[in-house]
Formats: sequence, C-alpha cells, structure tokens
Amino acid sequence: MFGQGLLKGLAITWKELFTRKVTVQYPEERLPLPARFHGRFELDVDKCIACGLCASACPNKVIQMERAKVGKRQYLTKYVMRIEYCMFCGFCVEACNKDALRFTHIINMNQYFRDKVRLVLVDRPAPEVIPEEEPAEAPEGRAAKPKAGAAGKGKAPEGEG
Amino acid sequence: MRTQTYILNMGPQHPSTHGVFRIILELDGEVVVKAKAVPGYLHRGIEKLAELRTYPQVIPYTDRMDYLASMLMNWGYVAAVEKLMGIEVPERAEYIRVIVGELSRIASHLVAVGTYSVDIGGFTGFLYCFRDRERVLDLLEMVSGSRMTFSYFRIGGVADDLPPEFFPTLDKFLHDLPSLCDEYDGLITGNEIFQARTKFVGIIPPDVAVNYGLTGPNLRASGVLYDLRKVRPYSVYDRFDFEVPLGKNGDCFDRFAIRIKEIRQSARIIRQAVDGLPEGPIMAKVPRVIKPPKGEAYAEIESSKGVFGCYVVSDGSTQPYRVHFRRPSFINLGYLEKLLEGWKIADVIAILGSLDIVLGEVDC
Repeated sequence: MFGQGLLKGLAITWKELFTRKVTVQYPEERLPLPARFHGRFELDVDKCIACGLCASACPNKVIQMERAKVGKRQYLTKYVMRIEYCMFCGFCVEACNKDALRFTHIINMNQYFRDKVRLVLVDRPAPEVIPEEEPAEAPEGRAAKPKAGAAGKGKAPEGEG
Repeated sequence: MRTQTYILNMGPQHPSTHGVFRIILELDGEVVVKAKAVPGYLHRGIEKLAELRTYPQVIPYTDRMDYLASMLMNWGYVAAVEKLMGIEVPERAEYIRVIVGELSRIASHLVAVGTYSVDIGGFTGFLYCFRDRERVLDLLEMVSGSRMTFSYFRIGGVADDLPPEFFPTLDKFLHDLPSLCDEYDGLITGNEIFQARTKFVGIIPPDVAVNYGLTGPNLRASGVLYDLRKVRPYSVYDRFDFEVPLGKNGDCFDRFAIRIKEIRQSARIIRQAVDGLPEGPIMAKVPRVIKPPKGEAYAEIESSKGVFGCYVVSDGSTQPYRVHFRRPSFINLGYLEKLLEGWKIADVIAILGSLDIVLGEVDC
C-alpha cells in the first residue's frame, strides 16, 4: 500500500513524543563535564620551573613567557597565553613535566573587548633572591639573609584573565 | 519564441552547500544546462602551515580538515609519519585507534544522514541524527577532552588511555545503536516521498565512478567493492569480521542508504575491538624530538568520506618539507559538474547533499 512508509514515520515521531527529554535548560542546568575536558588553563606557579617546554610545544606560539635569573635559578615573571589563537589541542599541558599547567572546567572565557581575552596567568616582579631555597644554593650570596624574611613569599598579585 | 539560458549563483552562502561552496548554474528554465563548481572559500593553506610546524604540531591542523571525523584525519597523518620513521605502533594503541576512528565514522555518517534529510525537506530526521551524534561526541570528549577537534592521535600511538567510565557508556550506546538506525530507516529511508525524490536521481555508473577517482560510500553506492579496510587492510582491520555494504543503482538513494548500513557495520567493528582490546602500552618508543630520516612516505586510510591519503616529505629536519593531503571530499566533487547536467534545480540540492562533502576538507 502506498503511504505505509509515511505512516511508519509518523508512528516513530509519535513514539518519540513520549520519551524522556534529552535537552537541558542550559544556563540554569548544566551537563557534567568529563574529567579530561579542555577548559581554561591554570598554572601552578610554585610547581613551574620556567623551562619553556609548553611554549615550544605550542603550534601557534600562544604562550609568551618572561623569566629572570635570580641567583642560579630561572624565575618566572610573566606567563601570558594569547588565548585568541589557542586551538585547545592540549600539547602544552602534555609537555609539562611538572604538572604545573593544567586544564580546568571553566568554559566561559568570553570578554567584551578583544584585549581582555588574553589570559595572564603570572605577572609578578622578580625578587632579589628566592626565599626558600636561598640558603641551599647561593654560595656567592648577596647578603640577602635579612631580606628573605621581609620579602616573605615574594609573590606579586596574580593577574587573572 | 526565442529563449535564452540564464546564470544563477548557488552559494557561497547557502545552507544546502554545507559550508561555503558555490555552484554557478546555467539554467534553461529550471533545468541545469551547465554547472561550474567553485570551491576555495574555506582555503586556509593547511599544507603550507604544516611546513612551518614540527611534526607533532601538524596534528591539530589535520583536525580542521574533515572536522566531522577529526579522528580519521589525525590517523591519516600520523600513519604517514609513522611509515616514514618506521615506527611500530603498539597493539593496544591500534585497537584504541580503531574504536575512536569508527566512532568518528559513525558521527560523520550521522551528520550526512541528518543533513541529507533536512536538504530533502524532513527536519525531524536531522534532529534525531544530531541527538544521537551528541552521544558519540560525549564518548569522544571523555577520551580526548574535546568535542570536535580531538587532536587525540600521536605519532607512535595515542595521547591517553581510554578512561574507565568510557566502556559502560560505549556499551549502552552500541546497545541502542541498531534501534536508532531502525528509527532513521523507518523515518527517512522508508518514506515514499523521500524515495520519489531520490531514487534514480543523479546516477553515477560504476565505471565513471572509478574513472573519476571517487572513493568511499559514493563509490560503493555504485556497486564497486572498494573499501581500504577490506582490500588493503591497514592497522588491525584484518582481524575484524564486518561486511562492506554496496549499492545497486548508484543514485542518491543508494548513497544515502549505504551510510546507515555502514553505521551498523562500524558498530560491529567497535564491539569486536572492545572485546579484543589487549593490555599493553599506548605509545611506541618514539624519540622526544621527532626527526624522520630524509625521504618520503604516503599512507592511506579509509575515512568516512573515502580514501584519505597523506604524503609527507622529510628533509631530515624537525619540520616537514612538504605535506600533501589527498582529501576524498574534494575528489568526489570532481564529477559534480557533469552529474548535475540535465537535472532540475531542486535536484541539485539532492545530488550535492548525497555526495556528503565537508568544505573544510574540500578546501583544506
């Protein structure tokens, strides 16, 4: 009989009408994100050794970092991600040996102005000496002992995108 | 009465071209006299960009060719580099590649089926297909962290092992998939209006299909048995038991229906791969800095659109000297101009949709 296929299709759509909804009311309800989700980046500054592997792994030269030499160690002073060029491939996170750079589950990275899009993860001045490890590896020491206490943890406020 | 033909531009901004693609149609009334395809609006120069990147850094760019089946694009590229370097990929990695690759193929075919339905005028089929594609994307998101541009393959293996929560979700999806395919068949394939619109429209004879270098479902719909997974098995495809669906007439209907059949076969492959998933490493022993020896390599895989090939030339440095991609969508478009001649303007949409092109891949 001609039209049987049409009726069958109609039956399917009717059946679907009574099944459970698959959509959620987005801004109020949200589906859970999987553990590996590629959201906004976060950098654990204490773990970072400013080696630059992440920057060289990036296909688009998204990561710009500045470091200063304090004593014998490299000290990360600036870590900016030009997120507008980022492909979220995750090569930088994979390259990080110290597990300092990670993905978060933050998906809202919208900004009203383009110059605000840039993700500034670290922006701080270099201290005279690095407080904690100073006694162990600064034989030439610049009479910085009293200062180390004063400077406390020489962390400048972290800029957040 | 003296009549004359007139020129109509279809596209580049046209929803039925599935991207930015332009066809210049010379029409006599509503019959196409001559058609000229104008691709290139989405050209980003990926092959050139690859020359300025190191070998692993090209992988995210391959995602952006056929963005509906990114895993398979990754696969073609890494297969070529592995061939160039002579890397033996661990077995577990190969199985994982098969699982995620076939999932990607299902996702891509679901888009093809759904968008073809909406091209012909049935919006419901489109929503059903996209609803189910969402489940595939959820699975791949668990694995890779992204929903479309996965960048999951690495030279010598894959980026990460399959997470434990992946398997129950996949099991449930594979369990539901046959009934979902029945739903598409009942809703779209069996519909008489749909059949009247697509049967014996835009017929590609088998010899013409071979001569024009068509591959993938478009070739198999014409009845030519050519599937790289069967005729020249790469990876571990020779271990799986599956059939290659074939069409009879090579018309739009066959090209559409074959994709639903392929989804069913992909599900079979995934089931076998999950059951036979061996333990072991997921990455081969690859040097930290990838520096292939001087030479060249060409590797092919069966992507969802056809044979995807990648040609890599190395000059011994860390960056490829030349990368070329054989993109099946682009080559499948080659016969479009001839195919459209003599058909009515409404059939142009039906024929173009049935070829299932992705403009990211056509223009590269």
